[in-house]
Amino acid sequence: MIISFGLLLLFFAMLVVILQRIQAHDHSFSSYAVGNRSFSARYQAMSFLNTWYPGAMFTAFGGMAAASGVISFYVLSYSLLTVMLMYLMAHTVWIWGDTFNLNTQPDLFALRFNSRLIRTVAALIGIISGIPWLVLGMQALGEMFKYLSLGALSFSQSVMLGVAVIAVRQFWTVKIGMRGVVISDYFQGMVAYVLGSLTLLALITWLIVSKGIHLANLPIEQFDLPGIGSAQGPLYLFSLILTGALGGWCWPYIFVRLFTAKGVNSLKKSAALATPLSMLFGAALLIFGMLGSALPEVKAHPNEVWFIVSQQAGGVWLLGLAGVILLAASMGHIDGNIQATGAQLANDLLGNYVNLDTRQMILFSKLGMLAITLLSSWLACLQLPALFSLAVLAYQGIIQLAVPQFLGIFWKKGNATAAISSMSIGFISAIWLEIQFPGSIPWAYGLTSGAVALLLNLFIYVILSWGLSQSHAEQQRVAALFRLVHR
Amino acid sequence: MMSHPHTVIIRGWFAFNAIVSLTPPVYWFASQLQTDLWGMPATVCYFLLISFSITASIVYAYLDQLRNGTLES
Repeated sequence: MIISFGLLLLFFAMLVVILQRIQAHDHSFSSYAVGNRSFSARYQAMSFLNTWYPGAMFTAFGGMAAASGVISFYVLSYSLLTVMLMYLMAHTVWIWGDTFNLNTQPDLFALRFNSRLIRTVAALIGIISGIPWLVLGMQALGEMFKYLSLGALSFSQSVMLGVAVIAVRQFWTVKIGMRGVVISDYFQGMVAYVLGSLTLLALITWLIVSKGIHLANLPIEQFDLPGIGSAQGPLYLFSLILTGALGGWCWPYIFVRLFTAKGVNSLKKSAALATPLSMLFGAALLIFGMLGSALPEVKAHPNEVWFIVSQQAGGVWLLGLAGVILLAASMGHIDGNIQATGAQLANDLLGNYVNLDTRQMILFSKLGMLAITLLSSWLACLQLPALFSLAVLAYQGIIQLAVPQFLGIFWKKGNATAAISSMSIGFISAIWLEIQFPGSIPWAYGLTSGAVALLLNLFIYVILSWGLSQSHAEQQRVAALFRLVHR
Repeated sequence: MMSHPHTVIIRGWFAFNAIVSLTPPVYWFASQLQTDLWGMPATVCYFLLISFSITASIVYAYLDQLRNGTLES
């Protein structure tokens, strides 16, 4: 326990040294909320990965690969497709962001659809949907501390320790804002995905060479994908990949990465840097999980595959390193979520109705981050039985932002009524369907509740965009927006 | 927006990636294949090949725009 916790402490101390050296720049809200759009491609790439892949990748998706096999690869497909999507929208979003000083995702909605209400609706959907995932992230850290304590800590003690660590870490998120998040993401990302990938490759080698486990030895069911006549339905995999790829950019803490880059070149270069690392990390993790499933201990506890194999291969030192890697991945995701939520509370909820100066915006953003940290910490310490179901519900809900967001970026025709109606009806439909048919909809051939609602959402958006005429002034305004990005 | 003639190739490649990732008959077919490809089960190869194609297309798109000077600062 001293070794494993000592390694965690060493990592945390190094992180604090880095954070302490960062100067807070808060002469404008843009400096605080998007780091003054100043980050180069390598920072952008690592910041994207560190926010995209949470620590739960090692437990939930590593565990899924161990328990269910090749279907877990859907996470790799959608994670790479979402970068392709970023490449396509980078130019438009960054130019609009820079020209109109956009700081949050709802800012973009408000600009494109010329509506104050849409800013509130998008922010509320984003904030409400993000909380269950924040709480789950904190609880996942508790699972990690429990394993690393080698039985010395109970689950509730471990969760409280995890919450305490992540809450202390937020001192710097609140103090420095986005600048601190991105710079620390670079360090955390190097540990989580560069060191993490190398560790995964070493563990795969150990499983093959020392344990004689090969993919060919695994049960044939591990390689099945749901097709016609399957229990999940023939469109299940399609649904998972589609909603994953589109949904990624609906999370406010992912979307805001588009505003932190110092230019379109920086964004596109970051995509070219992040994708190979994302592929290496994702493929290595999932193959590792599948190979690990051959161990009896993993078969009994698939979600602990990362810790079980690390401990068996390299004892307590490697177990400690596995903990450091998971902590680094978790921190990036949680920090990003808290930072984006604080910025939205000040900018899109309070600032949408009350005139705030720069100092007040930053103050309310900091207070928002503090409040969301305390609320999530408190919720994480409670045993909430429906938390995971709430998180699934939240995901099906937030992807409803995708239709007005992507069509708004790529199509001139949409209007505020279409956008607000489609995403609100989509959000309510997704939640209603998930409550009525938890897990799967019997008549939808494997489409998830979010995917079915997305179709309805798209239909409403297109019909209202064609059916409702816009004023001449609004048409001119939207045309001018698109002229800015057409070269 | 990308304006170089290579844009067609890149957009076509991106579209191909989306189609093979999302079209159900493609993965149903991969799941039906009983034979191993390069010593790996067909479904694992299917996902790895798609992942490689997406990665290569993004890197190619960036390098192409960089080479042709169509990347904005």
